Amino acid sequence: MTKLEKVDPAGTPTRPTKEAASSRGGYLVVIIVTLFLVLLPLARPLIGQPYNYVLQIGMVGLMWVALASSWNLIGGFTGYISLGHNVFYGIGGYASGLILLYFGLSPLLTFPIAGLIAVVFGFVVGLVTLRTRGPAFIISTIALLLMVGLLFDNWEFAGGSNGLSLPLPPFPLETVKVPFYYAMLVIAIGSVYLGYRVAHSKFGLALRAIAQDETKAEVAGIDTRRMKIAAFSISAFFIAAAGAVWGYSLTYLRPTIFFTIAIAAEMVLMAIIGGRGTVSGPVVGAILLVALNEISVSQFGSNELNIVVTGVMLLVVLMFFPLGVVGTLRERGHLPSFLDWD
Amino acid sequence: MALLEVKDVSSGYGYGPDILNRVSLSVESGTAYCIIGPNGAGKSTLLKTVAGLLQPRRGEILFDGQPIGGMRPDLVLATGICYVPQDRSLFPEMTVRENLIMGGFLERDRAVLSDRMEQVFEMFPVLADRASQHAVTMSGGEQQMLALGRALMIQPRVMMIDEPSLGLAPQVADQIFDIIRRLGELQITLLLVEQNVVRGLAATDWSFLLDLGVLRLEAPSDEILDDPRIRELYLGRQLAGSHPPTDQGEES
Amino acid sequence: MTHTIQVVILGLLLGGVYALMASGLTLMFGVMRIVNLAHGAFIVVAAYMAYLLFQGPGWDPFLSLVVIMPAMFLLGVLIYRFLFPPIESSPRFGEMTVLLTFAVALIVEGLLGFFFTGTFRTTDPPYSTEAILIGDLFIPKAQLYASITSLVLLAGLGAFLRLTRTGYAVRATMQNRTAAQIVGVNVRGVSTLSFGIGMALAGASGSLISFLFPFFPNSHWRWIAILLSLIVLGGLGSIKGAVIGALLLAVTAALISDQFGPTWSPMTFFGALFLILLIRPRGLFGQETRV
Repeated sequence: MTKLEKVDPAGTPTRPTKEAASSRGGYLVVIIVTLFLVLLPLARPLIGQPYNYVLQIGMVGLMWVALASSWNLIGGFTGYISLGHNVFYGIGGYASGLILLYFGLSPLLTFPIAGLIAVVFGFVVGLVTLRTRGPAFIISTIALLLMVGLLFDNWEFAGGSNGLSLPLPPFPLETVKVPFYYAMLVIAIGSVYLGYRVAHSKFGLALRAIAQDETKAEVAGIDTRRMKIAAFSISAFFIAAAGAVWGYSLTYLRPTIFFTIAIAAEMVLMAIIGGRGTVSGPVVGAILLVALNEISVSQFGSNELNIVVTGVMLLVVLMFFPLGVVGTLRERGHLPSFLDWD
Repeated sequence: MALLEVKDVSSGYGYGPDILNRVSLSVESGTAYCIIGPNGAGKSTLLKTVAGLLQPRRGEILFDGQPIGGMRPDLVLATGICYVPQDRSLFPEMTVRENLIMGGFLERDRAVLSDRMEQVFEMFPVLADRASQHAVTMSGGEQQMLALGRALMIQPRVMMIDEPSLGLAPQVADQIFDIIRRLGELQITLLLVEQNVVRGLAATDWSFLLDLGVLRLEAPSDEILDDPRIRELYLGRQLAGSHPPTDQGEES
Repeated sequence: MTHTIQVVILGLLLGGVYALMASGLTLMFGVMRIVNLAHGAFIVVAAYMAYLLFQGPGWDPFLSLVVIMPAMFLLGVLIYRFLFPPIESSPRFGEMTVLLTFAVALIVEGLLGFFFTGTFRTTDPPYSTEAILIGDLFIPKAQLYASITSLVLLAGLGAFLRLTRTGYAVRATMQNRTAAQIVGVNVRGVSTLSFGIGMALAGASGSLISFLFPFFPNSHWRWIAILLSLIVLGGLGSIKGAVIGALLLAVTAALISDQFGPTWSPMTFFGALFLILLIRPRGLFGQETRV
């Protein structure tokens, strides 16, 4: 994590030039890519006809980046696998949707509130479920997802299983995707930045200690319970925010949009394929899988075999490349610096 | 020919570093051995590797001339080598009697099994008293006796006992060592790991000194303490002949 | 009053089947520390097998048991041999088993969906609509037969574990894997056998499910969530706990569903899960620390 620093006789540490150059190059790439993403919607004349499609794909990709990166906080850094983490996704979607219906505020503005609501929810749930380790915790996340899904299915106020219709966004048809795209961009950048800050903090160090060996971490004086609950709750924020924006973009809320295990599976798969426990891993995984999915849907159509492919990919990665793309590249010393965010 | 030969063996845990570093030693039948050394020296690792709980990463292990390195633990037991771990590894929800029955798992003849159990009860009357008691409710000393009794159910040729006096009060430890001495009299070859050097040496014929995964020294048990190199080792200095420490003091 | 007894009886009958389903799952955890998220998926696979045998040669699901159980046993042996030994020495074994079986569950669900589509299926042997009347009590034959079968199979499992040499070996491995190894138990063999038995029990459950509930490929998530909640309640690895937990929860769920409607039935299991995590995380009969 820390690069070797040669101490020159004058006493100021200087990085060996080769590493300095490549890390500068890395920064540059990240900046360029971010700029590109920010300017993309403005390039309408250049993109032409597939404009809305491009923005849609961009938004979906950014959404999964946020979902996978957030999952990574508890599933990657802390080593606590959550298989129902999209429970926050749905809570966010419904929270902002209901706020829109009853207070007229746009989810594009209220998504932070949705995020906060999810964090509080996650905190309360975490108090109970993080009293256990390993298998019992994982089981509780699945139960939580199904339970909340069931609750929403039966909650007439929120539309029950038939769902809730939301008013259409007040934007002209040609540019309707743009605000959603930007909202998702902000959320994606936020979630990745959060991951970056956590990874480089004492908090992150404590989480990694827990992931390595929880008993030893406790013995070393780390308040593991508080750390775990913090990681669990914080990870809910951007997931819920993404759910809020997504729900609005569909203008229709239904439990099956948010509370299915398939979504949980995708989140987990993206983080693992990209590299669990690294900052850039979930980003790589999300982009890879969204792209792969697009290609396979356009080639083969959408059907049950998609789930099979997801499962097979997860199996293969787990058995042969458990460190994921970023992890494996780093282990072999081939990780390009623009992906080295740890 | 030696009964048990460890040749150039290295092993470790999981993907971690080598704990045992190319250790070679041989064990003669009917002799009692003690393995001593500081914490982390690899003493337990050595026993576990012979027992088959760990795979040797290099080298070979021969028993009666036959290779047993890397064999499954149950097959190693079948050759006649049994292992009594540091934590005794009893079956917590089984009674004393059931634990003993499990000890004789490889013996299929019921009559032989019940004979052996009688013998164990003779040797350890305490166990006879508590035959129907759950293993987990017994005291440390009783649990250790059960662990030893269980090992005897299979009439092993070699018994590897890891820190028998661990966590036991001195009088209890004395009792255990009395028993261990009697085991030696039964012509069972003993390989003992013992942190309490005095006890360990008193109960055995020959000793191996292990440090940082390497066999440093071997000698008859009653002579090894006289060896000057032992003091240097336990005081943390280098085992490098008789060089006095330099001023810069390259201490470990 | 009679009505309440009626509800309790229905709950007990169902609980028997849940106990059968959960026993295989908890056995796998007890012996090998494997959390098999695909257990529900394989129960559904067996249900489809029973369905095919019913639609095709017209076999009664109870008859199909004789074929399905051994078939599932073999499948279990194969799957275990292929998937688990490579990760045995991994320091993150526990979560690896979760993720691996999660992946398997997805694959199974997808394949089932591909071959059978998402239509709800069920087998409908004649007794699935018949009932026995005892006084005012109405006892559906299907549930009764299924429950009796579950009881017989569970008794068989218990007898195997308590009375046979191999059963002893299995129990020993469940209590202390290292100890089992050093007394001469072939734990790899025991593990393979236990996985096979677990799958066979899933197979039996699936056969019974085929006429008790309509099912489709996605059904397994509901089952596995309920079963996992059950075994956490009973104590991970405890078969006794799984049986008692199943009966308790099934009766409670029946009573709740009678009062508040059938959608609240699964909620009972989830609610119980969170309750037990709050009060006694190791479950009713779980061990404090797994040795």
